[in-house]
Amino acid sequence: MTAPSAPEQTAARRTDGQPAAANKMTEGVRSSPASTIVVTGLLVVVALYFLVPIYWVFVAATKSTDDLFATNGFWFSSDFALWSNLSQVLTFDNGIFLRWFLNSVIYAGLGALLATYFAAAGGYALAKYNFRGRNFVFGTILAGVLVPGTAIALPLFLLFANLGLTNTYFSVLIPSLVSPFGLFLCRIYADATVSSSLMEAARIDGASELRIFHTVGLRVMTPALVTVFLFQLVGIWNNYFLPLVMLSDTNLYPITLGLNNWRSQVDRLPEFYELTTGGVLLSVIPLGIAMIVLQRYWRGGLTEGAVKG
Amino acid sequence: MTSSVPRAEPPTVADAIEVGAAKAKRGANKQVRRAPWLLLAPFMVLFLLTFVLPILAAIGSSFTKVTRKGVFGELGVETTFAGFSNYTQAFADGTLAKSLGRMLLFGVVQVPVMIVLCTVLALMLESASARWPGFFRAVYFMPYGVPGVIATILWSFLYVPGLSPLVGLFDKLGVQIDFLGEGTVLWSIANIVTWTYTGYNMMIIVAQLKSIPGDIYEAARVDGASTWRIARTIQLPLIRPALVLTTVFSIIGTLQLFAEAQLLQSFAPSITNTYTPNLAAYTTAFAYNDYNVAAAQSVIIALIAFVLSFVFLTLTSRRQR
Amino acid sequence: MADPTDPAAPPGGAARTAQAPSALTRRRLLSLGAAGLAGGAASLLSGCATPGTTSVNTQPTIPAAGEPVRLQYWAWLKDLQKVCDVWNAQRPDIQVEAVWIPGGNSGGYQKLFAASAAGGSPDLAQVEFRSIPEFMLVNALVDLSRYGVDQYADRYNKALWQQVSYVDGVYGIPQDSGPMALYYRPDLLQRVGAEPPATWDEWAELAAEVRKIGAYLDVFAVSDASGFCAYATQAGATWFAVDGDHWTVNMTDEATLNTAAFFDKAIDRGLVSTAFTLFSPPWYAAAANNQIAGAVTASWGDALIESVSGGAGKWKVAPMPLWQNGSQTTGYGSSFIGGSTAAVMADSKHPKEAMEFAVWMTTSRAGIDAMIANSGIGWSPTDSYIGATRQQPSEFFSGQNYNEDVFVKMATEQNPDWQWWPLTTQSFNILADAFRRKGGSYTLVDAVRDAEGQIIEAFRNKGLSIERRGSSS
Repeated sequence: MTAPSAPEQTAARRTDGQPAAANKMTEGVRSSPASTIVVTGLLVVVALYFLVPIYWVFVAATKSTDDLFATNGFWFSSDFALWSNLSQVLTFDNGIFLRWFLNSVIYAGLGALLATYFAAAGGYALAKYNFRGRNFVFGTILAGVLVPGTAIALPLFLLFANLGLTNTYFSVLIPSLVSPFGLFLCRIYADATVSSSLMEAARIDGASELRIFHTVGLRVMTPALVTVFLFQLVGIWNNYFLPLVMLSDTNLYPITLGLNNWRSQVDRLPEFYELTTGGVLLSVIPLGIAMIVLQRYWRGGLTEGAVKG
Repeated sequence: MTSSVPRAEPPTVADAIEVGAAKAKRGANKQVRRAPWLLLAPFMVLFLLTFVLPILAAIGSSFTKVTRKGVFGELGVETTFAGFSNYTQAFADGTLAKSLGRMLLFGVVQVPVMIVLCTVLALMLESASARWPGFFRAVYFMPYGVPGVIATILWSFLYVPGLSPLVGLFDKLGVQIDFLGEGTVLWSIANIVTWTYTGYNMMIIVAQLKSIPGDIYEAARVDGASTWRIARTIQLPLIRPALVLTTVFSIIGTLQLFAEAQLLQSFAPSITNTYTPNLAAYTTAFAYNDYNVAAAQSVIIALIAFVLSFVFLTLTSRRQR
Repeated sequence: MADPTDPAAPPGGAARTAQAPSALTRRRLLSLGAAGLAGGAASLLSGCATPGTTSVNTQPTIPAAGEPVRLQYWAWLKDLQKVCDVWNAQRPDIQVEAVWIPGGNSGGYQKLFAASAAGGSPDLAQVEFRSIPEFMLVNALVDLSRYGVDQYADRYNKALWQQVSYVDGVYGIPQDSGPMALYYRPDLLQRVGAEPPATWDEWAELAAEVRKIGAYLDVFAVSDASGFCAYATQAGATWFAVDGDHWTVNMTDEATLNTAAFFDKAIDRGLVSTAFTLFSPPWYAAAANNQIAGAVTASWGDALIESVSGGAGKWKVAPMPLWQNGSQTTGYGSSFIGGSTAAVMADSKHPKEAMEFAVWMTTSRAGIDAMIANSGIGWSPTDSYIGATRQQPSEFFSGQNYNEDVFVKMATEQNPDWQWWPLTTQSFNILADAFRRKGGSYTLVDAVRDAEGQIIEAFRNKGLSIERRGSSS
């Protein structure tokens, strides 16, 4: 990659806040004020579209159920009930909301971590070794990328039912450990970046193959691993169908299922509106922040992969 | 980001020879032969358990049938080979075909709209005219962190008359809009999906744009190319692989639609229990207790996703050559 | 698929010292994986992978435990745990824990069926009367007659006991019911100078008047057939019946088709709204805006109407309008809508204890009062006691003592021949899908005819024997 000259790069970093995100299009180009206004204006309009629902839920979370229906949804009511709503969310049913949140963290965090490791090992193996059946294995896994996860969830449920695994942490965790797409990315990345001569040098030093993977492979593959990890993390966090099918014990619910559990009660018990809007707000805030922070790490590995980017 | 990666040289013929030479060495030989399987083992075991076995099980159970004799099956329950009867039954009442058609319509409209939107946004963000691109990028990407279920809860409140300030706003402007009506609810779902995934797809394209070497732009600018021309002749062709992949994922995502429709059901009377193929399979399995027909439906969904993605990939890669 | 399982064969060099740590983890992984695969493969090969095909009711009964037991009760009742706690305080030997699930077909049953399929259903579950046969079909319920439930039969409303009794067995303890009546807004009716209608024909006339002041007298759900079903039941329809070893069906009798034709006309004239359903958010919004003048619904609708914003003192209750044939009234005074049982699930280790709790909850004064106070339960299943708070006049309902004045009578004027069947959910979905097509030349009458054919087909697909009873029309 041809890096821009140093001063320019620092300048770009300062205005943009993006490490190494030098905008090559903009370098040394002054755009006309008119086009700046038009483009930025359009971007603002689109930003409003993305922010309106978030703004609405913030306003809604400050209202009692009566006010929710009786006052304008885009502005606050005179009775500011945010704190009482939020404390209700956190204390309802012995703090089940926090438990759901924690469950989500366990499913997504642990699942993504292990899935990334397994995908890295597999992708590395497929990229760096020649062995019989390699193409067959890779082809099978590639097919797995294309099969919709929800189409598998149902037969998986029946299978797990026979194994006595349904309605346990494992029933959601185990399927989350497999990321065919992650393996696919890792293979491409390992192919492009892990040097065979480096591996050979390690071999001559007497390192075992597994040790080579852990010391040479994993280190070089780190940028791709971050992407795979984030991809899997968000994927598990957002999953709804699999836990819906697998879990019946509300104590095992992730946040998605839990909030829907509350929402589905509003028909009969309107006071659940307060819980639902408050819970949605509380669950959106940390994720929103996480996305804003993580978006800069998102790209590693994506651009190296021939297909993905 | 890519600049921070210590780039090693791509494998060469020399590397391959070296590997071959290593193989010849005794002792290391067996280890090298075993190593890939060792590394693959955890993934493969889990892959077999959570992908291959369920698919085989689904195929198996889609060809069996449970027959109950008497009023409640008290005279005997039999599990027999069913041939293709579950498949014909899955299509018999036309609801599955209708839901597939609905998703096709959805995909034909929503996927291109989203892809165009995210491409335009990426190009605008990467253009010289955009102020505060980092801020906008973050805002657009944020909905991706909002799970589909929660996004649907959010938007459903903005769709429901009496609760939604949007409906009230349109009403004041003299526009009677029913987001949950029979003709509109599909597009209300499309909006939720677009809201959630546009930023994500945009990020992939932005990543690709950032990997375009700067001197290509410079050369174009020296030639006096306009921004528009650069976008058309340089940027679009170079982000093509990213566009292909986001499209494939969007196609698969469309066939997976479930949460949005299931949740909106309680607000929109026009959403049936077979509104999307996945909802149909879920209803068949857990509301009608017909696991065999549900298995057949799952197999059909998987096959269609597979075929569509495959066809799309083949078409695009052939044209590229 | 042979290749990927290759590593399962332990390679010869596993004892190599340099590899010891990794060999250990690997071996553990392999044995884990092998166990998983073997289990999966076994379940594949066993051929009985389809759940719900064996019956607990052919196995020996489970005697009372003789030691303290813990039971789980899955239900969608609010604050049910508080009701359980009343019982738990007096019965340390049988402790009951309440677990909330979504209501019936909006997610609760799916969970129950999934849990049953996986062999992990709770001891007790809230199952609506209409869903009892569906749970029976997949062998999810315990036949309580084998545990001596018959001794309690005389405590319950006869029509309800009929709805839990199938083929020599009893499959649930009636928990609440929903006799229907007409809730209305006297102030809106007065604006058109009307009294609550005594018959459906009067209702239609009134609905037209009420439209002129911008309100609806009711809504008609095309997405949920249970309302239509209740109207037809009131008119005297009996769709399904058991005849020896097979089912008989007639959904196109005169009562049903007249009901369909009546609402066809009501929809065509714009008398009822089909845009939203009863008690949905848009309904509440319309009700708060004085755009809803009435609703024919069950006794349990009172609590929902009470949450209409600004509705206090504005509502009253009148008997359900009657069907007429010429000048003669036909059918019954009311109809049940909704209503549920506490059913003992097949996976329960303590069916006898579960039954005891359910009987206490539904027949004792303490149980009934606790259910009303905490859960806002529907109409009491025992004729002898409707609950202390329900014997009082209600401020919200304009000071009317509506339960004793109206609903006590409604509860006894029921169609005693009505019976549910094993494909209710599917049938109601088929009906609703057909109702949704209403419009243009397609009528509710057409929808009922089409649905009947599809439902018969669905019965046959399950292997169940079914015959059409001769239609009178």
